[in-house]
Amino acid sequence: MDTIRLYLRSMAMLMKSQLQYPASFLMQTLAQLVMEGGELMAVILLIDRFDRLNQWMPGDLYFCFGLMSVSFYLTECFGRGITGNFPSMVRTGQLDTLLLRPRGVLTQVLCSAVDPRRIACIAVGTVSLVMGSRMAPVLWTPVKALLLAESVFCAFWLILGLFLIEAVLCIHSVRSVEVANALTYGGRSACQYPIDTYPRPLRVLFTVVAPFALVMHVPASHILGKPLFQWPLWTAFLAPLSGIALFGVMYLVFRRAMRFYRSAGS
Amino acid sequence: MSYIHVQGLNKRFIVRRKREKGSLLREKQVIPALRDVSFDIEEGELVGYIGPNGAGKSTTVKILSGILTPDSGEAAVGGRVPWKDRKEYVKHIGVVFGQRMQLWWDVPVQDSYDLLRDIYRIPEDAYRQRLNELTEALDLGPLLRTPLRLLSLGQRMRAELCGSLLHRPRLLFLDEPTIGLDAVSKLALRDFLRWENRENRTTILLTTHDMEDIAALCPRVMVLGHGQKLYDGGLSALLSRFDRTRTVTVRYDGEPDLSVLPAGLGISREGELVRLSYEPETLPTPDLLGLLQKAGAIREMTVQPQNIDRLIADMYREMDL
Repeated sequence: MDTIRLYLRSMAMLMKSQLQYPASFLMQTLAQLVMEGGELMAVILLIDRFDRLNQWMPGDLYFCFGLMSVSFYLTECFGRGITGNFPSMVRTGQLDTLLLRPRGVLTQVLCSAVDPRRIACIAVGTVSLVMGSRMAPVLWTPVKALLLAESVFCAFWLILGLFLIEAVLCIHSVRSVEVANALTYGGRSACQYPIDTYPRPLRVLFTVVAPFALVMHVPASHILGKPLFQWPLWTAFLAPLSGIALFGVMYLVFRRAMRFYRSAGS
Repeated sequence: MSYIHVQGLNKRFIVRRKREKGSLLREKQVIPALRDVSFDIEEGELVGYIGPNGAGKSTTVKILSGILTPDSGEAAVGGRVPWKDRKEYVKHIGVVFGQRMQLWWDVPVQDSYDLLRDIYRIPEDAYRQRLNELTEALDLGPLLRTPLRLLSLGQRMRAELCGSLLHRPRLLFLDEPTIGLDAVSKLALRDFLRWENRENRTTILLTTHDMEDIAALCPRVMVLGHGQKLYDGGLSALLSRFDRTRTVTVRYDGEPDLSVLPAGLGISREGELVRLSYEPETLPTPDLLGLLQKAGAIREMTVQPQNIDRLIADMYREMDL
């Protein structure tokens, strides 16, 4: 509880410090809006050319795109310490100051940054999500709402866990390593579309290694009333937990890696 | 056992060098950062820790503050091993890096402190009391509502010091705290450190290149070079070993006859001024005075001790650093 309170207070303080530069904040948020809005436009133009993609109708596809956008940018907004700042903290030795305080390193890294500009991307994602569920159409029930909430929540931890891979590599090599981006940004681009549109190797990659399919597509398919692989409803509740499991594993790896941390600079 | 006990500390770094032409593998170079360093420090001591760049000072501080684990050797601060149970250990220490800030850049100083209160879980009463005490001692009152980025370097350093002392650490590490500060700020900082050491019996380990800091603050000084401890004791005792020469400046009435002076004094002239240096050990001062008077009518004369930085440079050279 104490940790959550610390996180919330840090967030409040950081938001305040971001708003010290209102003009810059506004412009950057606008830029994000254009960027993610353009992304959505591209998807709309693409889907407009086809009636359907396998069994997925346009509404279903917008829904999937929205789900990915909302989850990914929520992570980028509230997990900014890991998704963005960690490599430079290692390189400049700023991580040292965190080690000198009586709190977990990961907690403090998460408390060290927030990126409120991403609100714009999250808004675009929400628009797509609403648009998709209107077009599909989704008949909302409490169970479906719960599924959606669980999916977004678990996706947050999944994406954070994937970004931890880069953090771990970074601790070992001091320099930022971009290989992990294949899973994070690659996963975002690929899994905007339902997993069964891809050939087998990619399907395995995004189910077993980086389980975007389990965390997002399995519950989404139930919400849309077209269960993937005909799996029963309870799997839609169970599958997203793999995201939290992946984060748990990466957290342990991260802790191990910190033992090898060599502080840079003097 | 003493408050800080360090025994046979060793730490090596492996540095990968750039690959040379024609060889497939990159060469690995092992740099011994610390070699068999041992010392004891009692509670409430104020110790200076000096040595040229790359001597291993920062490595020692990083090991003693729990950031790095040594390859071998033991260390205990107040009975605790720094690199074991980090979260418990760091509650009792404070660290100020002169070149690395821990406060938040864009927010008022007070907000940073409030967050530190939450991080260290300091009870509200204790926090208020300590903050008042420190704001007064550091003269921070008017700055609390100002964002850190608007403060001058000296003000920022005072704010940093306050931040790292809020949780009442028993041991304070200072890594070049006066770097880049103006004279007034330096003096204020030294006064404050003396105050904190006296009032709260905080043990302070001060790493610096500024010998005036050491001379003003530290009764005891440790010299580190090439990862080894070379000296441990009083500053004056250390300096007296190297402090042999005095510089004399004389102004004569009329043209002096310098030929009466012996060779090897390094005589130089600058207009009316005659400058020379001598070692009282080999040429007693009364003898020199006699010779100078023989050379002409002295109008005025000054004798200066050697510059402390020059002394340290001589010392490093003699110790082959």
